[in-house]
Amino acid sequence: MTLAGTERRRRQLITAGLGTALTLVMGTVLIMGFRLATHMRANIGALQTASTLQIYPQEISHQLNSLRDRLEVRAYSGQALADLQATVKRFDQMLNELGVSAEADSPQLHRALQLWHQYAPVLDPVLSFNAQPYVDSDTAGSSLSREGRQYYAEVKRAQLFASDSAGALQGQLAALAATLQRTCSDAAARLRMLLLAGVLAALALAGAAGYFRLTRSSHERAAREAQEQTRDILKTVHEGFFLLDADYRIGSVWSEALTRMFGRQDFAGLSFEELLKDLVAPATLATATKYIKLLWGDRAHENLMKSINPLGQLEIVMDNGHGGKETRYLEFDFHRVMGPEGVKHVLCAVGDITSSVRLAHELRESQENANAQVDMMLSMLHVEPLQLMAFLDSAETSLNLVNGILREPARSDAEFRKKLGGLFRELHGIKGEASALNLKSVASRVHALEDMVADCKRKPELSGSDFLPLVLRLDDLLAHLRSVREMGARLTTLKESGPAAAASVAAAAPHGSAAPRQPRPVEDLSSALQSMAERLAEDHAKRFRLTVSGLSEVPPSYAATIKDCVIQMLRNAAVHGIEPPEVRRAHTKHDVGAVSVHFRKVGEGYELVFEDDGAGIATEALKAAALRQQLISEEEARSMDTRAAMALIFRPGFSTQDDVSMDAGRGVGMDVVARSVYALGGRIGVSTHPGRFTRFKILLPAAQAVSSAVA
Amino acid sequence: MLHEQELKTFVEGTTNFFEVTAQQPASIGSPYLMEGSPAVHEYTGVINISGKREGAVYFTAPKAMLTVLLMKMQENDFSHETMRDLVGEVANMISGNARRDFGRDFVISVPSVLSGEKPQIRHKPGMRSFIIPINWRSHSAKLIVALT
Repeated sequence: MTLAGTERRRRQLITAGLGTALTLVMGTVLIMGFRLATHMRANIGALQTASTLQIYPQEISHQLNSLRDRLEVRAYSGQALADLQATVKRFDQMLNELGVSAEADSPQLHRALQLWHQYAPVLDPVLSFNAQPYVDSDTAGSSLSREGRQYYAEVKRAQLFASDSAGALQGQLAALAATLQRTCSDAAARLRMLLLAGVLAALALAGAAGYFRLTRSSHERAAREAQEQTRDILKTVHEGFFLLDADYRIGSVWSEALTRMFGRQDFAGLSFEELLKDLVAPATLATATKYIKLLWGDRAHENLMKSINPLGQLEIVMDNGHGGKETRYLEFDFHRVMGPEGVKHVLCAVGDITSSVRLAHELRESQENANAQVDMMLSMLHVEPLQLMAFLDSAETSLNLVNGILREPARSDAEFRKKLGGLFRELHGIKGEASALNLKSVASRVHALEDMVADCKRKPELSGSDFLPLVLRLDDLLAHLRSVREMGARLTTLKESGPAAAASVAAAAPHGSAAPRQPRPVEDLSSALQSMAERLAEDHAKRFRLTVSGLSEVPPSYAATIKDCVIQMLRNAAVHGIEPPEVRRAHTKHDVGAVSVHFRKVGEGYELVFEDDGAGIATEALKAAALRQQLISEEEARSMDTRAAMALIFRPGFSTQDDVSMDAGRGVGMDVVARSVYALGGRIGVSTHPGRFTRFKILLPAAQAVSSAVA
Repeated sequence: MLHEQELKTFVEGTTNFFEVTAQQPASIGSPYLMEGSPAVHEYTGVINISGKREGAVYFTAPKAMLTVLLMKMQENDFSHETMRDLVGEVANMISGNARRDFGRDFVISVPSVLSGEKPQIRHKPGMRSFIIPINWRSHSAKLIVALT
């Protein structure tokens, strides 16, 4: 039984006790009062009788005197006798009545009765006379007859007795009246006392009832206040609270936060399963239901149960109040409420931890960003500041070109599709340079952009919506390049700690791509290429040595093209040319491959020779790849000579690799090289021997006088 | 970084307007980025946004496009005020869509309208906006999303 139940029961008992006591007291007072009143009434009757009787002895005495006088004067005595008879009869009757009443039972009454018993025989001869007391004669007139004389004598005797004893009888009767008077007074006093006691008892009980009522109302007020406080708590608390009964149903009381969390109000009687049914996946719901059942087990350890709570962080999708949906995170916590017979309820506390989860997510992202920045800075430490700035300028220029391509108006699928080739080429160049400088965060971002462009390419029908993710990525990449530039500036300041260096970096960090660029000296690519070669070898499980010579001789106007070409060819050599060490051993070649890059002035122009001692290019493999990619028909493949087959590697979209990786597979490498070379008025040639080598020779005309390179 | 869904919400709000009021869908052109303050047409509806994102979203359309749109809506009034009301309505629909999808994360202002010969919107230097061309019949408007 609850505390409130016990209290209620106690109050009921007290009320019943008070009611009974009041009834008993009032009953007793009424009964006793009734009896006292009845006794008093009888006493008063007796008193009245006794008072009336007092005058009778004197009256009898007078009437006897009157009778004697009449007899003496021979007057008519019949009436006087009749009066005496009536008086005596009444007196006797009343005295006898008084004698039988209990109230008048007293010594005075006994004495009066005794006196009357002596008196009555004296009166009897008088009262019983019925003869003619006179005789008339003409001579003597009226005289007493013989009976008259006797009668006269009896009257005189009675009259004498009355004179002697009437006072005594009257005194006894007066004393009796006085006694009865006292008895009446006593009874009246008792009745007063009784009534007073009854009133006092009633007042005491009323006081007790009032006190009890007062106490009860203060208890009720306290209970009401407690209820109000509970209601206020449930209304204000940010957590959702409710109790689950043994049937896993929600009780009738819950905190208002639940309404906000679940967007409903019909919780009373709702089963836990129904509460979550539309919000979580069926598997989660099944696990949660099993978990709740486990909580009812007597042997379940609460801390252990807490550790396996499947609803510790529940992701739910619900209405956002504006007609849309939003994702929120709820945390369910369960506590068992124990009763004398085991688990009575399960208290469920639900917290909305959306903010914390989002904050944790943001913190994680921020941590990842910080880590990425540290990685970025570490990789930037190995890059010459000027080389880095040159790359950033070049990358921003390319991305502006990318944005320019996007900006060209397009409505039809063909117009959208036309953009893809240009986007690939520009992005590929940036990725190559970023890889060469080992700026992984930039390279991976560009690679993701390339993936998106490739996705667009595969779609049967293109529209502007397909370019939305692309433009978002482009924005992200531009923002990243800006942060790289800022980081580079800080690093340079740290490394050189000189105002001149800081100033030069600041000058090289224009905000926005529209700032005019200063021509930069051509940097020596050797160290960047060596780093790239090491990374490529590691990424593709190859071993090769790179030899570079003459790159410092590259005229500024060719620097960008030569750099792009060498980077692309180095990638190709690492991915397609150089074989894995075990393959090389099987072909009796040295484990470590050789890749060489030589640049020199030849006559009026320049020559770049790129060579690797790898697998060479098999024309049949080229044809097969082109067939797979539907770049040529089978008939064309059959009629293709070696020269034409070798030309396939310069076709846009051609790749011998089916899978796309950071370094190959896009089919936008060698066609970019060839285009760049042709754009400068140069030529490109390739010679190969399967199993032995591949050699690219690029011939460029004499350099232009004005440098326009973005090295 | 702005999410794709956020951009899509603004775009849907715009294209829905054409679908609902003119019973003729609008298509999206090739989106691109613009640094600094982008140029706008004669009529521009603006909603300012704060909260999770800060900035503004603009729908800017040429007078010719709005005239045809009004005709399609069987309106006879082609006054300056009606045109202003129309771009305001588009901005309102974008705002409604954003409220539906982002709920309490975004605090969205009541739409306002810019109009005139050469109205200008000013952005912070270096701030990039997303420009999404909205093509309808032979006309083209722009949705400018400038949020950080």
